[in-house]
Amino acid sequence: MTDEPEDLRQWRLPRGRHGLPRELVERSQRERLLAAVVRVTVAKGYESTTVADILGEAGVGRESFYELFDDKLDCMVAAHKILLDDLEKQVRDAYIGDDPWPPRVREGLRVTLEWFAADPEAARFLLVETSTVGPAFRAIFQREYARFTAMLDDGFDDSTPGPELTEATSLGVGALLAKIYEEILRDRVTELPRLLPDLTYDFLVPFVGEEIAREQQAAAATA
Amino acid sequence: MQKHRSSENPGNVLRPTTPPDIANQSQRRRIIDAIVESCAEKTYAATTITDIVGRAHISRTTFYKHFDDKRACFDAALDHCLGELQDIAAASHSPGDPPADAARKAATAVLETLAARPGLAQLLTGDAIALQPRVVERYRRATVPALKALWQRDGGSPPQAHTDPRLAFGQAQVLILNHIATGKADRLPELRGEIVYLTVSPYGGHEEALEQARLARETATSGARAR
Repeated sequence: MTDEPEDLRQWRLPRGRHGLPRELVERSQRERLLAAVVRVTVAKGYESTTVADILGEAGVGRESFYELFDDKLDCMVAAHKILLDDLEKQVRDAYIGDDPWPPRVREGLRVTLEWFAADPEAARFLLVETSTVGPAFRAIFQREYARFTAMLDDGFDDSTPGPELTEATSLGVGALLAKIYEEILRDRVTELPRLLPDLTYDFLVPFVGEEIAREQQAAAATA
Repeated sequence: MQKHRSSENPGNVLRPTTPPDIANQSQRRRIIDAIVESCAEKTYAATTITDIVGRAHISRTTFYKHFDDKRACFDAALDHCLGELQDIAAASHSPGDPPADAARKAATAVLETLAARPGLAQLLTGDAIALQPRVVERYRRATVPALKALWQRDGGSPPQAHTDPRLAFGQAQVLILNHIATGKADRLPELRGEIVYLTVSPYGGHEEALEQARLARETATSGARAR
């Protein structure tokens, strides 16, 4: 994993809106292929995407591709992982800390919503296209779901009320996932940050009840 | 139709005892059961018409009398499965039940059905979503208004939502999907506390939802408890 870029934003959207100079994206072939598989599957759908499409988009030769990946799925799974590595890192920075738990949740949610809003293509790739890869989807889903519930667990502190629902952590991750998925399907990913106050409230209620959740909702609205 | 049926039923060549439209329905049902089983076993993508007609014990001709193609057959199977779940949810409670109790019973019944019918659970959470991600909106439209109606049975004003019902539905769906993805489809009733909470909380509020979740766990079967 040493060849992975430090700043994923630079390869995630190497062309277009962000106006990055082309030299910036002339990085390793692996990075270009990972960026290409995201763009191509979002544009064409996983089923109709071919390795040739990915090669064309990345400007990389077939031989190099097969040195790096077993097949289309392998490449897609690698892109999926590297994107979520980046998301996890950023959310951890915002969420893990010494402040009381509810405001840290609010911050973690803010970073998550902004991360997805900044890159609708990546959002669609991660949440929608991946569900169409067939049986491999379950393994991917399971792994990523477990990693984000574990992160939420890591952030609990003594002030966190013991959840009465044993799967409360999953409820939290589920809330985010469900909300982002819905906004992707409605083509409103860029507006995700607007949903922070209500999502903060809905996310917190099962853990801390309606009153404390209401306070954080208000804080999110004024921030 | 009679010709096909009599060849499958040689003892009844002269006088079929089943009226044609019923035979028709049962053929259709067999085809639907067959595609559900086949998708559960090898996914929709790998399922062929040959698999379906083999399992349903019908001819290809009969298959094409009922459906244009594999996708049309799958869509019919999806409709059928959703309809079945809705019927089970509706039959799980009686008009006299308070809304929160009715919601608890419906949620529990749906979980138990999904656990007992892995093929159905697999179809709804696997192939259906892979084929058409928007199907989750359809699941929600089949659920949230029915739930809201429980709190509005006397024709009163619409209930005020404590939390977003659409989101609660999404959360429940993610929990169930994760349970199935981790190979625990048969243990879905373990989630009854959480799913009941999510079913009750939008219109019943947090406290009521916690209470119903407790009730749901207390009434859990001994089998689900002893894990």
